[in-house]
Amino acid sequence: MVSSARWLAVWRLAAVLLPGTLAAAPPPLPAEHISVQQLPPSSHHWVYVFDDAFANEIDMRVHLYDGDHYRRLGQIDAGYYSSFNLSPDGATTVVATTYFARGSRGTRTDVVEFTDNHTLAVTGEIVLPPKRAQTLPTPFNLAYSGDARLLYVSYVTPAASFGVLDPVKKTVLGEIDTAGCVLVIPSGTYRVSSICESGRLLTVSLDAAGKELGRAMSEPFFDADRDPVFVQGIPTARGYAFLSFLGQVHEIDFTGEQPRIGAPWSLVTAAERGVWRPGAQQVGAIHIGLGRLYVPMHRGGEGTHKDGGTEIWVYDTATHRRVARWPMATHGLTRIIAVQVSQDDAPVLFAATDSAQLAVIDPRDGHIRHIEKHFGQTPWQMLIP
Amino acid sequence: MGPLDRLFEESSRQLARRTSRRSVLATLGRLLTGAALLPLLPIDRGSRAHAGEPAPKADNPESCEYWKYCAIDGYLCSCCGGTSTACPPGTAPSPISWVGTCHNPADGRDYMVSYNDCCGKTTCGTCDCTRSEGERPMYRPSRNNDLNWCMANADANYHCTVSVILGVAEK
Repeated sequence: MVSSARWLAVWRLAAVLLPGTLAAAPPPLPAEHISVQQLPPSSHHWVYVFDDAFANEIDMRVHLYDGDHYRRLGQIDAGYYSSFNLSPDGATTVVATTYFARGSRGTRTDVVEFTDNHTLAVTGEIVLPPKRAQTLPTPFNLAYSGDARLLYVSYVTPAASFGVLDPVKKTVLGEIDTAGCVLVIPSGTYRVSSICESGRLLTVSLDAAGKELGRAMSEPFFDADRDPVFVQGIPTARGYAFLSFLGQVHEIDFTGEQPRIGAPWSLVTAAERGVWRPGAQQVGAIHIGLGRLYVPMHRGGEGTHKDGGTEIWVYDTATHRRVARWPMATHGLTRIIAVQVSQDDAPVLFAATDSAQLAVIDPRDGHIRHIEKHFGQTPWQMLIP
Repeated sequence: MGPLDRLFEESSRQLARRTSRRSVLATLGRLLTGAALLPLLPIDRGSRAHAGEPAPKADNPESCEYWKYCAIDGYLCSCCGGTSTACPPGTAPSPISWVGTCHNPADGRDYMVSYNDCCGKTTCGTCDCTRSEGERPMYRPSRNNDLNWCMANADANYHCTVSVILGVAEK
């Protein structure tokens, strides 16, 4: 063992022989001050990613992610079995959720929470009757009116109805019975459509105070037995597109007083029908300017509609032709469980997988720019303002 | 004796020195037994099965391949302290449920199965199982497994799911 006296002698010798060494030691680090990071100006390539936290569902959350700089910007908490959406101007995130008084048990409180997307701070809430539809994410669990003066929230007890809220005064205005039809698809100023088991759409017109003015039922456009539609509608220029389990595309024009149902077209050839099919939690995305539809597709039979896609198939929305097939496994990606695309001129396609990867893709050629390998737990829905 | 005969004689004597009559019979027996069992081995038809995973077991309630789980999406109560028909201790079954129609390979019949959630504790998190055969979106709630079927319970927190035979499905 070397004594401490001997070490001291060696140290002094080194100081004599190497006089510059000790003098050049860097100064100590300055004391630090804690702060709160401010968000930079928002970008078209910021995506809000809903994590269902399927292994611990009282702790869902929404991640804000920058698709240009590949980094997380922050988080919005989402509670239990929640739903979320963005205001039409993109300035506010709304989360409809449930809390229990003792964390995982106790008195149930259903609430809509408003988060300022410039600060990610909760700025207000509306307490709901305990009727909120506790279901997996869709764009129609919770939705703003076109002018953002009303907010609609889907109720299932399991009787179906929806609540009409005033997001400015933070009050509940009323409840509209929907005769078994579900979800809130907003259109016009104050119209709400719901999807019925009969394959029809129920459309209720409201006044500015949320009172019902009238209602009408559409013709059926799908068969819930033979080929049901996913409820995760995809925004189009004039409404929404709904994909069916077997790959039919039902485009619905919501710009008029009543929805206009277009002739369906198919994602698959006759030979592919029933063999290849769409499947995901968020089952498609459309870039309106490019005229491109992106769908996670997989080989599988009846019952595999929640299995993610092994490939993304790309369609021209004008000609209905498939223009590309992008296999994902070759990039180390597992099944694609959600897709979303930005609407700008230099767009970004986001694809989340069933192993919580998040891929940033060029939607023009399928080039994979970046992969986040551990993006939360179950990223099942993505929204971009 | 030609060279070929000598070669066979020598190799036969070597085989005889290494091998007892009992071992020959034992090996033959194993081969015959294996051949007899081969048709009984489970066959992987699950679209979600992956190479390297244990073979699915249609008669094992702790396996996602168990026949009664054909339309389930959630955590198997049989992995969470309960059974395929019993909620784990300290939880409460949901009085409302969705249903599926599952084929029992053991008797060749189709059964109506009720999927009830067990409620009152946070998610079990073990044995996640999604099969969704015959499952429909929430506009047909009786066949939908996305909804929280603990919704009407005094404590609406979802823990896991049981599967209960209601009866033979009518054709």
